[in-house]
Amino acid sequence: MKKVFASGNIAVAEGAMTAGLKFYAGYPITPSSDLMEYLAEELPRRGGVVIQMEDEIASINAIIGASNAGAKAMTATSGPGLSLMAEGIGLAVITETPIVIAHVMRAGPSTGVPTKTTQSDIYMVRWLAHGDYIIPSFAPWSVQEAFDLTIKAFNTSEKLRTPVFILSDAILAHVWEPLVVKEPGEVEIIDRKPPKSREGYMPYLPDEDLVPPMAPFGKGYKVLVESLIHDEKGYYAPNNEKYRELVTRLNVKIIRNLDWLFEYEGFFLEDAETVFVAYGSVARTVFALTKQLRNGGIKAGFFRPKTLWPLHEKVMRETIKGRKIIVVENNLGKLAMDVQRIMCDRDVYQAPVLNLESPTLKEVKEAVMQWL
Amino acid sequence: MALAPMIHPLDRHLRTDRIPTLYCPGCGLGIGLGALLRGLQKRIDEGLISPDSVLWVGGIGCSARLTFYVNYDSAHVLHGRAIPFAVGAKLANPELTVIVVGGDGDIAGIGGNHLMHAARRNIDIITVMFTNFVYAMTGGQVAPTTPLGVRTTTTPHGNPEPPLDVVRVVSSLNANYVARASITTPHYIEQYFYKVLGMRGFRFIEVVSTCPEVYGRHIGLRDPVEMYNELKKRVIYKPRPTLEEAVINWEKGIVIGEYIVRDNPGFIDFLKGGGR
Amino acid sequence: MAYALSLISKENKKYRVNVVVDRCKECGICISVCPVKVLSKSTILNKNGYRPPDPVNIEKCIGCRLCEYNCPDFAIFVEVVGK
Repeated sequence: MKKVFASGNIAVAEGAMTAGLKFYAGYPITPSSDLMEYLAEELPRRGGVVIQMEDEIASINAIIGASNAGAKAMTATSGPGLSLMAEGIGLAVITETPIVIAHVMRAGPSTGVPTKTTQSDIYMVRWLAHGDYIIPSFAPWSVQEAFDLTIKAFNTSEKLRTPVFILSDAILAHVWEPLVVKEPGEVEIIDRKPPKSREGYMPYLPDEDLVPPMAPFGKGYKVLVESLIHDEKGYYAPNNEKYRELVTRLNVKIIRNLDWLFEYEGFFLEDAETVFVAYGSVARTVFALTKQLRNGGIKAGFFRPKTLWPLHEKVMRETIKGRKIIVVENNLGKLAMDVQRIMCDRDVYQAPVLNLESPTLKEVKEAVMQWL
Repeated sequence: MALAPMIHPLDRHLRTDRIPTLYCPGCGLGIGLGALLRGLQKRIDEGLISPDSVLWVGGIGCSARLTFYVNYDSAHVLHGRAIPFAVGAKLANPELTVIVVGGDGDIAGIGGNHLMHAARRNIDIITVMFTNFVYAMTGGQVAPTTPLGVRTTTTPHGNPEPPLDVVRVVSSLNANYVARASITTPHYIEQYFYKVLGMRGFRFIEVVSTCPEVYGRHIGLRDPVEMYNELKKRVIYKPRPTLEEAVINWEKGIVIGEYIVRDNPGFIDFLKGGGR
Repeated sequence: MAYALSLISKENKKYRVNVVVDRCKECGICISVCPVKVLSKSTILNKNGYRPPDPVNIEKCIGCRLCEYNCPDFAIFVEVVGK
């Protein structure tokens, strides 16, 4: 364990390496490029490979290939790059390939403002590719959390054989804070389940936890990675029975682990009448506001989901007891829609505050004043 | 896996529970696959290649579905993206013998960018591109290699686009090996594949193939034997043709042979720090 | 789950030609490429409704294997039986 001074991008890179990252393929895109640059320097020293591919489409496909060859793999990108990776994400879902994608959000739509921040992509990482699936995503709010949640992301991807997103943003990427870098022995690292034997190995035959053991290429398992709807052997199965079975299992294997997946933090919630909900870098400002209001005598509470998908509706309903809920986001209101749905019996207000540099305390206060 | 019988000498290389293949009668892909497997068999018998190390990667299309039938590690991935998948797998485990199979549309159309950069990097993978001049699996749309004037389903008034000569394009990059073969001469496919299995760097073999049901229908050669014979008539073999001679033209002839054969350090050599 | 594949097998003193009946798709290429016209279309229908080739002129077979190399369906192969 060592204490360093690092940026959000570096924290994600270090978290990945602690988790066992061995292959990185990426494409430069602001504000994620320096994550790749840091890994290009460090990862080869630790026995890994970094390659800058010709575009994001090549990057996402390369990391899926590498993961199936047995290496923990990741890439980092931003909005325009992730848009190109859409098809690849779907491939990772159906082939049940563990990969981690760091999405360092920047103001959009389209080219937008490359060096400035947003929170508008939290639904993009949920629904990017076509089809029915649940892809977990985590949103850290500090450099330390970027490190810790990256390890969680890798563990999730390996445990559940799924792609996983880390949602950072242009502010968090380049803010520098103290970071405690934990070594692999000091923190739980989960690896994909290996198969029990070569005889009768079927690449998509699940165990009781609905996750199939994963064999790498090159060890004599006769792996079949298949993008078409398939049966347990990986053979194309265009029939209702196998289609329903596969698509259902891909979703249920994730949702079964909701308790383990859903991480959150709450402050002053026991007697709160008004609860602020926020995530990522904006949450820091909202937390400061909550404390300010408390000091001023207002019974304000603060709830911050660290896991943005899947959301644990039961936990949210039980933890957020306030009558009034105000969701503050650096977008035109996205998580607010979930909160309105989940807390349909409360008064949920959206407080969208668009700010390229992240909303200021003053702006957030002005946005929420009308409901306090 | 089901214990399937080994009747045909190549059955050990096949997932025989998926044979007969989905391919149309007379489809050149089966001929090509047989030739590739014979070349591979020889290298396995010599002890140069371990069967466990072999990985076949295909995108989408009839050619890419060869990955269904081979009794090895295989991957059936996205349209045009077999090459980057293969690059990732090879770099994560350099011991793998990676073979990309695909059609002309998959590899040189949508996958063109990846083909170009893999050849430029001299990535240590083998790419076998089966050219049938059309997008067959989806019903016969125009492809980057479709000759000028041909009526396809998306060019019903005649193809207005000049075709791409993939061998010329790949030869202009840093690939260690570029060859063209034809399914009418399967022994050359076997010979070239045998050779590339013992080489490093980016190795590219274009295999001109017959597609009686789809391309044959577009040019009036629906009978498998007729299309096979017509292709055979146009194939001109030259052992080491030059790039000026690299004609792939239904009128002027289809020149098969080895265009580029060299042994420059591959990408893996550069990664390991050597290869200057 | 082993199962039998039926074959049409005919041999001369040196070579045996085997046709894997149910794999054939009646493309006709083997019949066409044989340089000595060993094969001709049989009258039997395989399980997919195709007529596989029959090595009726087996005594002419020279073991060149052009049929085996040009079959797209792993449906015909030649074995050496004599010296």
